[in-house]
Amino acid sequence: MAESATERRVEDLTSTGPPAALTRKPQGRSHPDRPWALLLLTPNLFLYALFIVVPIVLAVLLSFTSWNLVGAPKFVGLANYAQLFRDPMVPEAIKTTFVFLVIGTVPTVVLGLAIAVLLNTKVPFIGVIRTLYFVPAVVSFAASAVLWQWIYRPGQGILDYLLQQVGITGPAWLSNGHTALLALDIVGIWMELPVAILLYLAALQRIPESIIEAATLDGAGPFRRLRYIIWPGVRNITVIVVIVSTLAFTNGSFDLVKILTQGGPVNATTTLIYYIYYVAFDTVQVGYAAALSVLQVAMFGVLLGLLAAARKAAAR
Amino acid sequence: MRRVWKRGRLALRLTFVTVFGLVLAFPLIYLLLGSVMSTAQLTSFPPQIFPSGLHLNNFSAAWQYVQVRSVINSVVFTVAVVGLQWALCIMGGFALAKMQFRHKNLIMGSLGLSLFVPAVTTLVPTFIVAEKLHLVNTYPGLIIPIVAQTGFGTILFRQFIVSLPDELIAAARLDGAHWTTVLIRVVVPLAKPMSGAYCALAGVTAWNMYLWPLVVANTPSVQVLPQTLAPLASSTYGSQIPENVAFAATVITTLPMVVVFLIAQRSFVRGLAGSGVD
Repeated sequence: MAESATERRVEDLTSTGPPAALTRKPQGRSHPDRPWALLLLTPNLFLYALFIVVPIVLAVLLSFTSWNLVGAPKFVGLANYAQLFRDPMVPEAIKTTFVFLVIGTVPTVVLGLAIAVLLNTKVPFIGVIRTLYFVPAVVSFAASAVLWQWIYRPGQGILDYLLQQVGITGPAWLSNGHTALLALDIVGIWMELPVAILLYLAALQRIPESIIEAATLDGAGPFRRLRYIIWPGVRNITVIVVIVSTLAFTNGSFDLVKILTQGGPVNATTTLIYYIYYVAFDTVQVGYAAALSVLQVAMFGVLLGLLAAARKAAAR
Repeated sequence: MRRVWKRGRLALRLTFVTVFGLVLAFPLIYLLLGSVMSTAQLTSFPPQIFPSGLHLNNFSAAWQYVQVRSVINSVVFTVAVVGLQWALCIMGGFALAKMQFRHKNLIMGSLGLSLFVPAVTTLVPTFIVAEKLHLVNTYPGLIIPIVAQTGFGTILFRQFIVSLPDELIAAARLDGAHWTTVLIRVVVPLAKPMSGAYCALAGVTAWNMYLWPLVVANTPSVQVLPQTLAPLASSTYGSQIPENVAFAATVITTLPMVVVFLIAQRSFVRGLAGSGVD
């Protein structure tokens, strides 16, 4: 089943115990499998080491240097980390990151579950209706940005037109400091919702229909069915949905911000990840950008660690 | 009586999900409609929904803007990334799942670690590595650092292959089959659903990838479609490229993935749900 595989995948990233297949004792260096295993793994691990592990190590090393991409990096000790505490943009970017994350993730999870419950029925053509919900998942950030830029266009876009019909003058969504972040979140939710719906549908399809029917016959209303049958069935997957959306709304925020607002107006949409890019490429302070990167990874490492712990608790 | 009530509720539910689904799909439907409108029609206010005629010359203008070169680049990039990454991941996943050697946990752990490191944070160092290897503005420079992102895929395939019965592989080995033969003749066929799901997901990711190409490919000869498209989302583009042409260009870049999605929906659904087993 779809859900169990997803869970296994995440569990594997978080558990420290040996996977089941490894309980057979490895028979030491001379085991006859070893050369062939190495042959199969080497191309993979070589490229992974060169382009993933080496850059991670380099990023950590660069965070102790001052470098503008010209000449050799200069060792500056912990100066970049000290700068993290002095830079007023850091708390602001962290706040923006979390506001963006919460405004994006909460509706994604709630709407994702609600829509999945409504779509979880076996009638003809339900597949066609589901397709409507899934298609935005294949649209790129760049294409979404072109589309939404047009929808949000001040005084001309379809959103302002619809608001006018109910007597509201729309703000200049993307260039207004109060609405820009919300506007980006709406695009993010639109792109992320298909994944949430899919994950929830996979979980819901594991709840036998007979149980729901029996409960209905016993007089359980929609609310009690949700509370006592649906929720226990989707509790586990909810943590996965939260993890997946958290990754999407932190890493994914970069493309949206970069294409639609470039961090503006006046830093209103400068998330930490966009600030890292800005510091590295626009002000060319590579060492400081690396220190910011360490901060970003540490922060989300803790957050995802907490979510993984929540997952274990939910599984019990 | 009860039956009628139940039917009415189902109808209400279906109406609601259809309408809401159309609302969510509306931006894409409008993209398609707008791509065949005239500039005046698309920018009129109040907005028009249905085109009055088919302005197909938008597409020839958009094709000129997009450039055949970046379409070819995108296809080459996507096919190469998916093909190479799939091969690396299934080979590595197989070794980790069914072969005996040491330090498997260490390897799995370090492969998993990369999932929590956002690409932006290692962008400069990755660029430095590419530059030292003289890969900037080349196809290998565009492709290989992305192929190297094997963390997720290797773990995914390892999880799937571990669930295949050991007896199957032991039997083939006893018959004298070599490990590579077992991989090609036994594992690859059995892992087909997983491979479909993985390739669907990796394909969309590669086709839509923006950040790495933005940094490593800064000449038109190696640029990919998202790079060509991104400037059209800035609020000032209207003066150079008419909106309807921008819409047509967006259709050109998005339609291939939508069509592939509609054809291979099962694989996509499995891929997005993170699983190869139904």
